[in-house]
Amino acid sequence: MYEIEISSKKDFKDVRGLNIFSEISELGIKGVEKVTYSQVYKIAGDINSLEAKTIAAELLSDKITEKTSVKTAEPSECCSLPNSFAGLQNQSLSLIEVFYKKGVTDTVAESVIKAVKDLGINKDIKASAGHRYYVYGKISQSALKNIAEKLLANTLIQEYKIF
Amino acid sequence: MKPETKCKTIEILNLSDKQLTDLSKKAVLSLSLEEMKTVKRYFKKLGRNPTDVELETVAQTWSEHCKHKTLTGIIEYTQEENGKKSKRTYKNLLKETIFKATVELNKKWCLSVFKDNAGVIDFDLKNGAAFKVETHNHPSALEPYGGSATGIGGVIRDILGVGLGAKPLANTDVFCFGDPDTKASKVPAGMHHPKRIAKGVVSGVRDYGNRMGIPTVNGAVCFDEGYMANPLVYCGTMGIIPKNMINKKVKPGDLVLVAGGRTGRDGIHGATFSSTQLDKESDVSAVQIGNPIVEKKVLDTMLKARDLGLYRAVTDCGAGGLSSAAGELGEKTGVKIELSKVPLKYEGLSPWEIWISEAQERMVFAVPKENKKKIVEIFKKEDVEAAFIGEFTDDKKLTLTYNGETVAYMDMEFLHDGVPKPTRLAVYKIKTEKKQKPVKLSSAKLLKSLKGVLSDLNVCSKEWIIRQYDHEVQGQTVVKPLQGNGIEVSGPGDAAVIWPYTVVKDTKKGIVLSNGIDPQYGKINTYKMAASAIEESLRNAVAVGADIDKISILDNFCWGNPNKPEILGSLVRAANACYDMSKAFGVPFISGKDSLHNEYCIGGKKYSIPPVLLVSAMGVIENAANTVTMPFKQGGNKVFVLGYTRNELGGGVFSKINAIKDGVVPDVYPEESKPLMQKLHAAINKGLIESCHDCCEGGLAAAVSEMAFSGQKGVKINIDAVKTKGNLTSSEILFSQSNGRFVIEVRDENSDKIKELFKGCAVSELGDITEEPRIIFESKKEGIKFSEKSETLLKCWKNTINW
Repeated sequence: MYEIEISSKKDFKDVRGLNIFSEISELGIKGVEKVTYSQVYKIAGDINSLEAKTIAAELLSDKITEKTSVKTAEPSECCSLPNSFAGLQNQSLSLIEVFYKKGVTDTVAESVIKAVKDLGINKDIKASAGHRYYVYGKISQSALKNIAEKLLANTLIQEYKIF
Repeated sequence: MKPETKCKTIEILNLSDKQLTDLSKKAVLSLSLEEMKTVKRYFKKLGRNPTDVELETVAQTWSEHCKHKTLTGIIEYTQEENGKKSKRTYKNLLKETIFKATVELNKKWCLSVFKDNAGVIDFDLKNGAAFKVETHNHPSALEPYGGSATGIGGVIRDILGVGLGAKPLANTDVFCFGDPDTKASKVPAGMHHPKRIAKGVVSGVRDYGNRMGIPTVNGAVCFDEGYMANPLVYCGTMGIIPKNMINKKVKPGDLVLVAGGRTGRDGIHGATFSSTQLDKESDVSAVQIGNPIVEKKVLDTMLKARDLGLYRAVTDCGAGGLSSAAGELGEKTGVKIELSKVPLKYEGLSPWEIWISEAQERMVFAVPKENKKKIVEIFKKEDVEAAFIGEFTDDKKLTLTYNGETVAYMDMEFLHDGVPKPTRLAVYKIKTEKKQKPVKLSSAKLLKSLKGVLSDLNVCSKEWIIRQYDHEVQGQTVVKPLQGNGIEVSGPGDAAVIWPYTVVKDTKKGIVLSNGIDPQYGKINTYKMAASAIEESLRNAVAVGADIDKISILDNFCWGNPNKPEILGSLVRAANACYDMSKAFGVPFISGKDSLHNEYCIGGKKYSIPPVLLVSAMGVIENAANTVTMPFKQGGNKVFVLGYTRNELGGGVFSKINAIKDGVVPDVYPEESKPLMQKLHAAINKGLIESCHDCCEGGLAAAVSEMAFSGQKGVKINIDAVKTKGNLTSSEILFSQSNGRFVIEVRDENSDKIKELFKGCAVSELGDITEEPRIIFESKKEGIKFSEKSETLLKCWKNTINW
């Protein structure tokens, strides 16, 4: 399985991150210094790393404003730390990841599956689309849970994990 | 383990009343005891227990959402006024009020009313204009983005599903939200913050509407804390349909084709769920997810198939899913369906789930056998999945099979006419509204009030929302939602005008869309609230140039729990207002919808929403070029107000911000308003009007200010010149929200013509427009004078909602 993460390049505005940052302060939660946002796609199936890179570069990202990271991940690892986070881990950085619950129609993922074929990669794949929010600052678990449930995920249809 | 996909038999024949009630609740059937007993009797006659598929089918078909049991049921109504009681029994409230007015008006230009997915009126010789507005409240409370997106997706499919399908041209959206500034700690557990709901709903409508390539051209947003846990989301769509395609006719032997999205477990029990109150434990599977790309493909391909005459009937899969769609089409004939042929998103769905799933973007067609190949080819070309799932019969039965095994076999007649008519009690006590003590504010306080009114949530600019919507796509929007001198300088347009020249070649005609909604009045007097909403929708349409004699309207009731007699009583009053106003203005209702049971539970206590009627108006005009906008155009021109100003501060914004007790809610005077509207239409067509704006929330002061700041002009208003009924102070004249009034701009040389044309109506000449952008209000009589820069007032109006 490949995990593709897309985020804004350094000199481009991370609108979603900035938005969430201001909404967190509106919630009355203190101590957050910065929020950055990444779109995440998990793609499973019979594709190789070159194809995964093509999908990331040609389909899922805007080469001018966004950077991509493509990693392999074992499906069994889905509940452990995402690769992109492993090196960053310290006390003043948390990550909240949001995906749809199983059985909920994931329209973005459906479009990805179709677009991959349109790209000329004629293979059967499975995809899911989610979001990662990197929250900077020393924040309690309960505050993170609050941010996740009040702002980032609708627990009726989505599930979130805090790392 | 493979999930259970078998059909089960449900024991009901030997159940006690209590057990029947428990079963209805446990299985989310939302059927009353009386209804459960009717079902029991029916199956007793058949000598067997129902299957789960059959029971679910009955629940869907008989749901409030599909059958409107309250409005069409028996209501014993008691009205009390000045201690005197009067009684009346309604056998069918809808037929005896709203529908009755339409029948009595008997307008020849009404082509299809109250029988199809949308109302259709005459557009030109060859085409009709279709309009439908629906609500999607409960799903939006749980999942604001998905709920509102599927709301707009659903109403677009209503337009696709009217007759043989209309082409959608424009969307409208009206929302009621809780106070966005509510403290996070005050939001009950398990519910979203009003601001989160508002943002989610707006982005849902934006993403679905914009991706469908349909402009969102008209709307309104109301805020009140009563909508905190139960927001109202109204979505509407207007379309054009050739007149020879308004009727559908299913013939036995026609094939049942389902096209579009696949079926999943989405939105199971949506229809029955909308008849229950919201609380923490609300059913999770009731959420639907929209996919506009699929619907756009369905739209494009089905219109192609329509023009080739490849099908005889179509309807959308809305609430109740296939069960409603196929059930409706086959109501008069009978239908037989093999559920295993329905394309699924994933395995493991039970037959009953397939049958009632509310998965989105699906349309059901009745296709003559000879067109089988052709129609599938058209869908295939655009990658739209289409599957034949059965055929229409002539046995008047609903037959469902799953892998060949019969899982349901019932009479269509029992399904569609078997629902027992409940008798509900309704009471209403008419209270006399008291005039407030005379309000006499100083000049400084009046200016402060004006600023307060303009920046109030219910008056302020909704630009932050409107600009997210594409209101230009298709290139036919000639009068737009925001009007003014530039992107940074705008005012609120009264109505939108669509010039459908890409669909109807060489036409000059236009379609005007507007709405009226007044939740604040409904808290005091639902009769006046409904009457005001109707008049407001007409006034908004007429303000841009619509012809009052060619306007049709839609009703959308959102009410609390109708099992409470007082709440149902207030609904009866509103329905009566609909009849009275429809007749008095000569404006027919062509379609409508109701969403009752808007009730929510916090900490064990139940609350009903402030009841509200949304009225959406659609008018056809001869020439889309003969329309006007609201910003002032030229210094030196004269300003008039048409219509009387009365002492009506009740439920108004001014009263709220100044905490004024009492006050009379604005009433409607059709005998004054209708002739005035006819004359205004004539004046606009003669080119005598430079700008026109309706006077509503915030009264005359707000209306004049909006016209001035959006045109970057100034104006000097003589308050003493305003014609009133009764004695009013300057404060009351400026902020009374009396209905039936328009502010117009007229060139000096046309002033006399206007006075002549409006003879017999109240016409007050208020003053002059100035190039210097300063807004001045003066009353020599009371020694009042205050003024402010136009730009400052524009900022007051613009800066409230900037999320």
